[in-house]
Amino acid sequence: MTRAQADSAGSIRILAESKRLPKACLDRWLSMDEGSRDALLSVAEDLRLRTGQIVTALDLLDEIAVRERVPPAAILSREELRRIIGGSGSGPARASAFLISLRSIRYPRLAAATEELRAEISALRLPRGVSLKLPKELGSDELTISIQAGNPAQLERAVAALTEKIGGLARIFDLLGGRG
Amino acid sequence: MFELDEVIIERRCAETVLARRIVGAIPSGVLVREIDDAREAVLPARHASDPFGVGKRRMVVCRRKSPFLMACPAGSAKFACCGYLVLALASNCPMDCSYCFLQEYLADNPAFQVYANYTDAFGELDKLAAGSPERSFRVGTGELADSLAFDSMTAMSRDLVEFFSARENLTLELKTKTSEIENLLNADPRGRVMVSWTLSPDAVFRACEHRTAPPASRIAAARAVLDAGYRIAFHFDPLIAYEGAERDYLELIDRLTDSIPPEKTSFVSMGTLRMTPGLRAAARRRFPGDPMLCGEEVLGRDGRLRAFAPLRIRLYRALAERFKRAGAEIPAYLCMEPASIHERVFGDTPAKPAIIGQRLAEA
Repeated sequence: MTRAQADSAGSIRILAESKRLPKACLDRWLSMDEGSRDALLSVAEDLRLRTGQIVTALDLLDEIAVRERVPPAAILSREELRRIIGGSGSGPARASAFLISLRSIRYPRLAAATEELRAEISALRLPRGVSLKLPKELGSDELTISIQAGNPAQLERAVAALTEKIGGLARIFDLLGGRG
Repeated sequence: MFELDEVIIERRCAETVLARRIVGAIPSGVLVREIDDAREAVLPARHASDPFGVGKRRMVVCRRKSPFLMACPAGSAKFACCGYLVLALASNCPMDCSYCFLQEYLADNPAFQVYANYTDAFGELDKLAAGSPERSFRVGTGELADSLAFDSMTAMSRDLVEFFSARENLTLELKTKTSEIENLLNADPRGRVMVSWTLSPDAVFRACEHRTAPPASRIAAARAVLDAGYRIAFHFDPLIAYEGAERDYLELIDRLTDSIPPEKTSFVSMGTLRMTPGLRAAARRRFPGDPMLCGEEVLGRDGRLRAFAPLRIRLYRALAERFKRAGAEIPAYLCMEPASIHERVFGDTPAKPAIIGQRLAEA
């Protein structure tokens, strides 16, 4: 082990200790190639990742690396992540955005499908009191439709709005059912 | 074909037909020993880095004390089930698929157990058949073990085929990922035995299905048993929704239907990869470099991870449509999916499990 490697491992250990990172996570971090563990250290320090966020980042990086057969350093150097890491804004906000973006890389088709569905829902321009909720992580094919009404007239307006948008709703059901 | 470290025989089973067959068939160099009580021998080797893997290499010949016949452990009122009945003649499997649910299901007793008193199951089956003579039952041995992986040692299939071939309302399903069909080719199933293969694209076979026969060999074996008078079926289960999966599965179906006319296939089943978080953790620990275990699975309401709904429905539908285009209406069902997903894929409401079971038994 070179001095630089020892220094980097030492810095990771110090950070892990201060964050009370579980040993298994520290071991996984230290088992990364040198470039990858340094890159993650840099991100953890820059964004002041909390313990849970480091654990999540380790999991996501590991799984992306296995699936795409690239080292974590290559993942962390992607433009969409660099932009967040080097961007303005508070550490916590950037940390949150970083993990959302990392998760989109881990689940690219889920992210695209969710985005498309959200755009379809938004395009419906439903009136206040009517809302559509997608299943969590698109884990099922069911859409939750909520109506909030204080009197029969409001209810009638909400139902009429939904009826009017039935074509758009059908499109959303189709997307949930894998058509599209 | 499979590597064993040792064969442990419970002393009271030493003179059974099965034990004698196994001792006569094991390769030289495999340690054989007798013990009074097999209970200790089936437990995990806690000191080992991979207790489950060690368990696979230790064959234990013992008596089964529980009933052999049981409802499929995957069955649930939440799903549109297929009415499958499981005959547990062995537990665990010498093959080592990275996604296998046995890694969690048998974590506490991973030894590869083979039950010396397996012919006791015939009494249970006769009782089942006699209790509902108007119904047909599909009974399989491939849930807690591969039906044929160890058949060159045990020759159980010969006894099973002989038994089922004489029963009007019982259909045996031998489910496998091997090409171990020699014993079958010398028996007459009289239409009462079905052999089914799990089929996966080469990418899944290479990444996940360790020590199994290649997909092309499975299709060739299916053709051979079909020609020998067996009914055949195929399980596209687990379907793994990796990038490029749809193309690969459709190509696999084309290869299958090129070799076997669709009308000769009794049924197909489909089920996307599903794992509890515990199974996923165990699988990832044992196969950390397997990319198929890092797909876009999300947690569903039943506590299992599956490909997110639109992705898996699309995949199911693509496969179902390809089979339809192949020119025959092959009965099909989805494993461990709710009725709503069945309706999305097939366009109709699934029948009750007993009815589906009856149809598949007679297909």
